[in-house]
Amino acid sequence: MSLGAPAALWGLLTIPLLILLYLLRVRRRNHPVSSVLLWQRSAPTLAAYRPSKRIERSLLLLLQILATAAIVTALARPSLVVRSLDRGDVILVMDLSLSMRARDVPPTRFDRARAEALDVVARLRPGQRSGVVVAGPAPQLLVPLTDDRARVIAAIRGLEPWDAAGDIRGAALMAAEYPMGTGGRVLVWTDAARGALPALPQVTFRILGTSDDNVGITEFRIARDPSAAEALLRVDNFSTRSRQVPVVVTHDRKTVYRTTVDLLAEGSRTVVFPVSLAGEYQARLETRDALPDDDTASAILDPAPLPSVLLVGEPDPYLERVLKILPVSRAAATQSTDPAVWASYGVVIIDHMNPGPVPPGDYLLIASVPSNLPITATGEVPRPEIGVWDRTDPILRFVDLGSVRVARAMALTAEGGRVLAGGDVPLLWAYEGGGIRALLLGFALQDSDLPQRVAFPVLIANSLAWLGGETPVIRAGEPLQVPSGGGASAELVGPTGHRQTVPATSGMFALPPLTRAGVYELKTLAGSRMITVRPADPPAGRIRPGEAPAERSAAGADTGGRGPEPSRPVLAQLPVWPWLVLGAIGVMSGEWALATRRRGGDA
Amino acid sequence: MDHVGARLLDPAFIQKLDTLSLLSRKRLRGVQRGDRRSTASGRGMEFDDYRAYQLGDDYRYIDWNVVSRLDRLFVKMFAEEEDLDVSLMVDTSRSMAAGDPAKLLVAKQLAAAIGYIGLVNLDRVGVTAFASTVASRLDRLRGRGRARNLLEFLDGLASSGETDLEMAMRRHLATSPRRGLLILLSDLFDPRGYEQALLLSRRHRFQTFLIHILADDELVPAITGDLRLVDVETGRAVEVTVDAEALAAYASARDAFFNEIERFCFRHGIDYLRTATSVPVETLVLRWLRQGGLLQ
Repeated sequence: MSLGAPAALWGLLTIPLLILLYLLRVRRRNHPVSSVLLWQRSAPTLAAYRPSKRIERSLLLLLQILATAAIVTALARPSLVVRSLDRGDVILVMDLSLSMRARDVPPTRFDRARAEALDVVARLRPGQRSGVVVAGPAPQLLVPLTDDRARVIAAIRGLEPWDAAGDIRGAALMAAEYPMGTGGRVLVWTDAARGALPALPQVTFRILGTSDDNVGITEFRIARDPSAAEALLRVDNFSTRSRQVPVVVTHDRKTVYRTTVDLLAEGSRTVVFPVSLAGEYQARLETRDALPDDDTASAILDPAPLPSVLLVGEPDPYLERVLKILPVSRAAATQSTDPAVWASYGVVIIDHMNPGPVPPGDYLLIASVPSNLPITATGEVPRPEIGVWDRTDPILRFVDLGSVRVARAMALTAEGGRVLAGGDVPLLWAYEGGGIRALLLGFALQDSDLPQRVAFPVLIANSLAWLGGETPVIRAGEPLQVPSGGGASAELVGPTGHRQTVPATSGMFALPPLTRAGVYELKTLAGSRMITVRPADPPAGRIRPGEAPAERSAAGADTGGRGPEPSRPVLAQLPVWPWLVLGAIGVMSGEWALATRRRGGDA
Repeated sequence: MDHVGARLLDPAFIQKLDTLSLLSRKRLRGVQRGDRRSTASGRGMEFDDYRAYQLGDDYRYIDWNVVSRLDRLFVKMFAEEEDLDVSLMVDTSRSMAAGDPAKLLVAKQLAAAIGYIGLVNLDRVGVTAFASTVASRLDRLRGRGRARNLLEFLDGLASSGETDLEMAMRRHLATSPRRGLLILLSDLFDPRGYEQALLLSRRHRFQTFLIHILADDELVPAITGDLRLVDVETGRAVEVTVDAEALAAYASARDAFFNEIERFCFRHGIDYLRTATSVPVETLVLRWLRQGGLLQ
């Protein structure tokens, strides 16, 4: 049984009111008698008209209560679930939001949802199709409609919430628009903690969650400037009560920072503190709430924000000098054009030579044009001018090319990528694709005065950083590809120590969705590379359960959730209220007939 | 008997009454000679006793047979036959209007029949109509010729007022110095009780005969539902949900009330007859009042 408008049940309060009115307002017919002497002597008779006795005996009152209850219940629009009518397709929508990790519904909201979803799948009839849509940061059809129940079960069992806010609205819409057969239904498990849900036909929402008690870290990052580094930590209170939360930051298991933040209800605080030691920092809130998963966060202070660099070509004093100055993890020089030698370096600088085709990787190409890039050199251009350059691009940030003079440059023709600087011909060109990230400078350093300009070390630093120097910081679920550098596979180690192998495809490691906030380590031939997944944004930390659309909601708080029971949504719903209305009319008619026929009765 | 009497007593019924007389369990003194044996010895026809002759006695009453046997003079004594003082007290309170026929009508018919019998037998018959006090009064009549007065008085009685048996009895006794037969016709629905009134009559040495008249609807109420029962005399109301259980409780209270009256009357030597309005008056008089010892 589910109720379309459970708020109408407040109308049941009219029943006590009806009884009260019945007690207060008794309509008795005057009947003259020669004497009341004997009636007064009849003590049991006096007891017979005590209010309680009257209630017990009043069939009329009972009928009135029945009629009232039937009408009120009908207004709540109840519907009955009939199993035998359910033969349609079923799409299960699972909310993968961070809030689904809340433990107010034991063991967690998501675990409960998963158990209920598996129960639904187990109850499907033979031949009945089912599918799975997940509500991550972007909705995704995980399993199309299929009658392969084992596949659906395996998919559901493999699900885990992400440390991000899921797009449950989009997922519900996606599921609702999926072509289903007659009688198809969409069952959505969510906590509806981030906004109203759409009222969609054939979509039933199962709302999980009872609490809004959560405090979480929503930002933890370390910013470096030339002189020092600072950590920024933001804590949000998502509950409706103010609280004091101790914060502890550790580095290599040693506490480096400790404070207590006062948080107003639904307020936030940001603290900034200096850090100096390179490595991973962990912040932890020493509090207890319904969602402990967002009480910790990690950030990396990289000792060498720029990657390892291999200089390929004739020795160039300008480059060698600047690589000594810049904070690269390591630098080396070689004249070998064997890509196998390059594999252990993050960035390969190819200076003024013809490398032929280059394998996937990150390249700074100086007057060198690999044959497998969408750019060709058709000669030389004397004294080209750098007329324009993209000051907004990170590569050219703080780089002033206005006074740079170039004696001659390659006559480049780009068929892809983007030109960052140039005039008649491209002089600085960037490209990403096919596992290759490349930045091409169209002239040799010795053919210009660029090495003597302040812009030169800045340009090299920006270029190395763009080519893969700094630790990537992404959001949970954000897609990330890392050049394989010739390696066939890499090992990905998650924040919890979970390891998995990532194969290289087309020269890139396409990482699986990084769903948990924290620091991942990608171990490749070129060495380890740290990837930081930021804590979830503030909306993801809201765990206060919302409401299902009015016509779909129903009571069921005994299981920690609201909405239809898990196994029932697959069943067709039959409206019950018309029968209740008919019953009420029948009862009222009977009451009227009895009241008018009964002498002395209350009409 | 003219039409006035016919309203209360049927002529055929009156003819039957001519053969009856009032029966007093006590020998009461009357005022005039009558058909009833008096406590006073005198010149009646009925032998009472012997006593020794005294100087001045009438020689006609010397029993010579005794003198011949005992050789002493004895005179015969005869009971004086005097009239009987009959007081009929008729309850005319508003509650007596209930019933079909009305209790008051039954009371008037009974009073008419008893009074007529008394008049025919040369008893002195008086009627007192009462409610909370004496409403009207018919002075003592004597002789068949006064039957018309009796019937006219009774026919003119109407129900009104609230019952106060004790007050009415006090007023009646205050104006009735002579002992006699007191016949009380009432439904006894007096919230103050009936006991004091009856005890007063006993205290004044009246031979009391109580005729308790009830309507059939008072014996078994034919009502159900949520009612506000209003006392026609006092205006007091009782809210009752009348159902089977309530009616059973009423029956218990009614029986207890009757038993209480019966025990009281037995304890104090009061004759008691309870009747319902559905019982014909003729049956009451010719059968039940004779069996009850009021008539013979």
